[in-house]
Amino acid sequence: MSKSLSKDVRWFVSIYTVLLLAYPREFRREYGSQMVLLLLDCQRDAHTAPARTRIWLRTLVDLVRTAPLEHLEKIKKENNFMRNLRNDLVAIGGCILIILAALLLLSYGRSHQVSSILLFGHVLDALAFTGILGNLIVFLLIKLTSFRPLRVAFWTFLIVSLVPALAITLIAGSDPTFNAPKVVIGYVVSFFFWYGLHWLWSNKLRPTETA
Amino acid sequence: MKVPTRRPEEFLPLTPAMFHILLALADKERHGYHIMREVDERTSGNVKMGPGTLYGSIKRMMADGLIEELEERPDPELDDERRRYYRLTDFGFRVATAEAQRLEQMVRSARAKKLLPRTR
Repeated sequence: MSKSLSKDVRWFVSIYTVLLLAYPREFRREYGSQMVLLLLDCQRDAHTAPARTRIWLRTLVDLVRTAPLEHLEKIKKENNFMRNLRNDLVAIGGCILIILAALLLLSYGRSHQVSSILLFGHVLDALAFTGILGNLIVFLLIKLTSFRPLRVAFWTFLIVSLVPALAITLIAGSDPTFNAPKVVIGYVVSFFFWYGLHWLWSNKLRPTETA
Repeated sequence: MKVPTRRPEEFLPLTPAMFHILLALADKERHGYHIMREVDERTSGNVKMGPGTLYGSIKRMMADGLIEELEERPDPELDDERRRYYRLTDFGFRVATAEAQRLEQMVRSARAKKLLPRTR
């Protein structure tokens, strides 16, 4: 009797192991062996054939009900990932376009000796510098840490705007041709521009924000 | 372990399976089959969880930081080494308490509407 029981259990578990293929691979890898173990325990404690049949049926119903749910959850996760990836790519593309436009305008203003573009030139200088450095730091910090994206953007752009403005003012302050207020204004505008862009992205444009 | 950033109330209402698992783990750490048996005994056989329901709930609860897996088995000599044990986290305890309070409030409302007899 006990021999036939163990044979029954082995047969049942073998079938269940195959049926576990209905679950997503990650779920199966993580919990498949535990589920089989659980079933072996249930079968071991079921002393009669009807009790074992009830467990068999209940397990089958459970599998039919929960396997699609696990697949649905997996699809939802992938959709969120793809949506966030698409948004990230759009944001990175936008930043690159702004930096390129700033550099082109700056280069045009300088090559044509446009006097009226001088303050504008300081702003573009700061915009390109803080844009390249700040966005790179923000991108790395958001991807590598769990800090809040908007807070990361605030502190990063504050530092990459404040430090160069102070450094340039201190180093070139004694030069009579150096115009400190224009440089400072350039970096202040740049800070508000980049932080404002991140704020807008985080609060208005992005449907789901990843923490 | 994942650090929960949400408030316990945001998880309510819990699914029946999740609440039963939290209740089973409220007094001690248990492995999957032990959880299943505890639920079965506590509900006089009215709630029977299948392996998919149990481990699907465990997966979600671990991701939310409600329960955690033990690194060492409580009694390695007496037990199958393949078993994984789970325990409630502090956050899981708070979520279970919040759900119990919510249910208590509902029972009180049912009593007020005479759907349930009043207790002495």
